[in-house]
Amino acid sequence: MSLLKINYLKCHYLTDINTVRAVDGISFEIEEGEILGIVGESGSGKTTVALGIMGLLPENTAISGEILYRDEVISSLPESGMDRFRWKDIAIVFQNGLDVMNPVMKVGVQVTEPMIKHLDISPENARSKCADLFRTVGLDPKWMDSYPHQLSGGMRQRVLLAMALSCDPKLLILDEVTSALDAFTRKEIRDLLVDLQKKNGYTMLMISHDITFVSSVASRIAVMYSGRVVETGPVRDILVSPRHPYTRGLVHSTPDIFVYKDLWGIPGDVPAGDEFKGCSFSPRCTQKIDICNKASPVLMPVGGGREIACHRGGIAGLLEAKNLSFRYLLPNGEYLKAVDNVNLEVMEGEVLAVVGQTGSGKSTLAHILANVIRPECGEVLFMDGNVSGGNYGNRVNGVQIVFQDPFSSTSNRFTVLDAIKEPLYINKIGSNGDRLQMVKNALELVRLPTTDNFLGKYCGELSGGQRQRVALARAMVMEPKLLIADEITSALDVSTSANVLRLLKGLQNRRGFSMIYISHDLSLTLKIADRIAVMNSGKIVEMGNSHDVMLSPSDEYTKRLVGSRIGLCCHNH
Amino acid sequence: MVKDRNSFIFRFLSTLFVILAINFFLPRMMPGDPFSTTSADEVGEEIIVMTEEQRLYYMNYYGLDRPLYEQFLVYMKNLITGDLGRSIYYKMPVSDVIMLHLPWTMLIVVGAIVISTISGVVLGTLSAMNRKKGSDRIMMTGMIAFAEIPSFLLGLILLLIFSAYLRLFPLAGAITPFANYNGPAEQAWDILCHAFLPVVTLSLSQLTGVYLLTRNTLITVTTKDYIRTARAKGLGEKTVWIRHALRNALLPVVTRTGFMIGIMMGGVVLVESVFSYPGIGMTLRSAVVGRDYPLIQGILLIIAVSILICNLLVDKIYGKLDPRVVI
Ligand SMILES: Nc1ncnc2c1ncn2[C@@H]1O[C@H](COP(=O)(O)OP(=O)(O)OP(=O)(O)O)[C@@H](O)[C@H]1O
Ligand code: SF4
Ligand SMILES: [Mg+2]
Repeated sequence: MSLLKINYLKCHYLTDINTVRAVDGISFEIEEGEILGIVGESGSGKTTVALGIMGLLPENTAISGEILYRDEVISSLPESGMDRFRWKDIAIVFQNGLDVMNPVMKVGVQVTEPMIKHLDISPENARSKCADLFRTVGLDPKWMDSYPHQLSGGMRQRVLLAMALSCDPKLLILDEVTSALDAFTRKEIRDLLVDLQKKNGYTMLMISHDITFVSSVASRIAVMYSGRVVETGPVRDILVSPRHPYTRGLVHSTPDIFVYKDLWGIPGDVPAGDEFKGCSFSPRCTQKIDICNKASPVLMPVGGGREIACHRGGIAGLLEAKNLSFRYLLPNGEYLKAVDNVNLEVMEGEVLAVVGQTGSGKSTLAHILANVIRPECGEVLFMDGNVSGGNYGNRVNGVQIVFQDPFSSTSNRFTVLDAIKEPLYINKIGSNGDRLQMVKNALELVRLPTTDNFLGKYCGELSGGQRQRVALARAMVMEPKLLIADEITSALDVSTSANVLRLLKGLQNRRGFSMIYISHDLSLTLKIADRIAVMNSGKIVEMGNSHDVMLSPSDEYTKRLVGSRIGLCCHNH
Repeated sequence: MVKDRNSFIFRFLSTLFVILAINFFLPRMMPGDPFSTTSADEVGEEIIVMTEEQRLYYMNYYGLDRPLYEQFLVYMKNLITGDLGRSIYYKMPVSDVIMLHLPWTMLIVVGAIVISTISGVVLGTLSAMNRKKGSDRIMMTGMIAFAEIPSFLLGLILLLIFSAYLRLFPLAGAITPFANYNGPAEQAWDILCHAFLPVVTLSLSQLTGVYLLTRNTLITVTTKDYIRTARAKGLGEKTVWIRHALRNALLPVVTRTGFMIGIMMGGVVLVESVFSYPGIGMTLRSAVVGRDYPLIQGILLIIAVSILICNLLVDKIYGKLDPRVVI
């Protein structure tokens, strides 16, 4: 028997202008003694769920579905019936704010008040119990006689916690208990909660947008998006391999998890309007298909205690390379194994970095993946079709590659217009007028001018950075699903390369294509990569989340590579 | 703290001085003087007709023929010694006249404040608790319509119905003239009977304000997070409303009560006239009619000082009720 069970709960706020579907059909269970975390960005409906459980939603809320506490339906109880459960069975620590506590009442009184009401004890006993509680949460009992405005945010949070613990609840709901606190206090509260849970075995529902905090306490996580649960599973699994595109975005935009990477939020917005029937993440999703706009996906078990709500079963694969090998014939008649039995997979919307020393075979691999050269054995599948057979390089939404050397990818004698238009021309895409517009759009994307003057310039007249951007525009004009960038910044000076890199990552984030980023520069790579593959003498020796590879390299070669990072490194690994 | 207190005293004194100056000059800017024949007063007071000679004699006797600034200086000097001057009409010290009438006014004003505040708060709370239900809407419409009736008209209607027609209450005065009481209880009862209608009239004139303020503040307060917290604790509706919501909603009501004193002082003149109630309001009215400068000054001063004191009290009480305010 689970302590709390929620069945298809819907809470819609009916306002004068519209209906806010704050919670839109969610189900979950909490077992006795378990800590369940609910994460999701601001406005995803987390607090609404908490209020729904407590029966505290405002009058203008349309509620349907069921909430069961120990198999008793509590969702349709009247106010007085709900009071039987409040605080003694289910207590809540509210999202902190100046107004959460009564401003004209001493905090001690506010903590003892529910004890006197529910536990049937005298005010004196309640007071001494309150002093104990204050000590438990790390507050001097002398603060009992203060008013809320006399306390700091962290102290108020502790008082709120003491208040919630006062009647020994079976289920403790914690709504953003730490978001307003500094890192140090946050850690103290975290330790306190873990401690309490160990000692008293509280069952907790922990709500926060801070996935790091939740995952350091909870055992299971439910990820909420726009009023629905999109993914649930054990904490570690979700952090290491998020399966829903939204979860991945959330995990990847968390600084504590991706220590080195620049922060890139998830672009786009939650769909407004009550009539939208499809997957609410679809406006921001990089891998949506037709059905995503028509029907909303339901949460389905995918094994390992995980559930995902996505029509494509979570993040889909985009490109898969199997057993690739390639040898160069050297002048002395020997063969050099440039690519040696490489297997890799690129997921939708992800940036995979391939790093390795010069001569480790990275560019050769890139050329094979882009179908510029053919592998001796093995095959490359793009969207489940064979690359060489399907010719994905020559079509819109296919694979595009930008080379190391801007001078080889764009001929000196071409004008900017011709250089970018060429792939459209070769592949007979669009009419002449359309093509000019497409070229201009592509130039705007890479932040280059679209004046006739610039369009008529010869590539030979451009600076290195400009030329690399033209090369990028030439790739972007084909609107690739996968962009392979092979050392695109190595020929540029530091500040230009930083600019090009930012531009590239910005484009990737906005347009949602996947990218294979090839580089020997580990520091730069870490700024943009989600996953890293380390190559040495034609082999992939290590592959994993970029922070894992960085923080705990397992292969000897990777360790050396990480160790050889020059620069002002202040992290101690 | 010392600095605060000093600046407070300074503010208090300068306010008082401005009030004194206005009190002094305003009555003297009205046409006429205490000894000219005034146009017959509608209440039908005895019209004293004086010869020019007599008039000049009296003007000289009361010092009214001297330059204004000189009179003002004398007035201020006497004030400092606690002398409010002599009433021209009553021919006795102004302070004695005031002491004679002030208690009656205090009785009905304090009574009205207590009654209107308590009933306004109770009704406002009931209304807020039943918000969006019929009872709230009816009560609110009734209250607002009621507030449109001027208090003297209301007084007249009450007087006609309860005193003239039903004969439940006396028609005028504060006590039955020449009554022999068998003990203080009977005397108190007599006073109550006389004060009843004036108090009711004054209370009713303030009721709607208190009611609306309580209702609306309560409705705002109930949307606050701490009310949700109190609900979450399962304390029960009654505790939530009274201990948590009302306690906070009363803060503006207290402030309003302070201001109410001032408003009521204006209303009290009319109400006392309607009920011929011998309070300070009635006295003020006849003093104005008779151009009894010292009496006008004295009464206005008492009113001003009592308003100042009330505001002071309100600040103190507010500070007690709201711990966020530091005084
Ligand atoms: N009383 C209300 N009336 C109308 N809409 C509301 C009300 N309360 C919340 N909402 C809306 O419901 C949605 C979900 O709100 P909720 O407070 O549950 O989000 P949340 O996930 O807790 O966000 P945060 O992390 O910012 O606390 C939001 O779009 C919000 O604007
Ligand atoms: S693939 Fe479709 S269902 Fe899955 S997250 Fe994207 S839009 Fe939603
Ligand atoms: Mg919230």
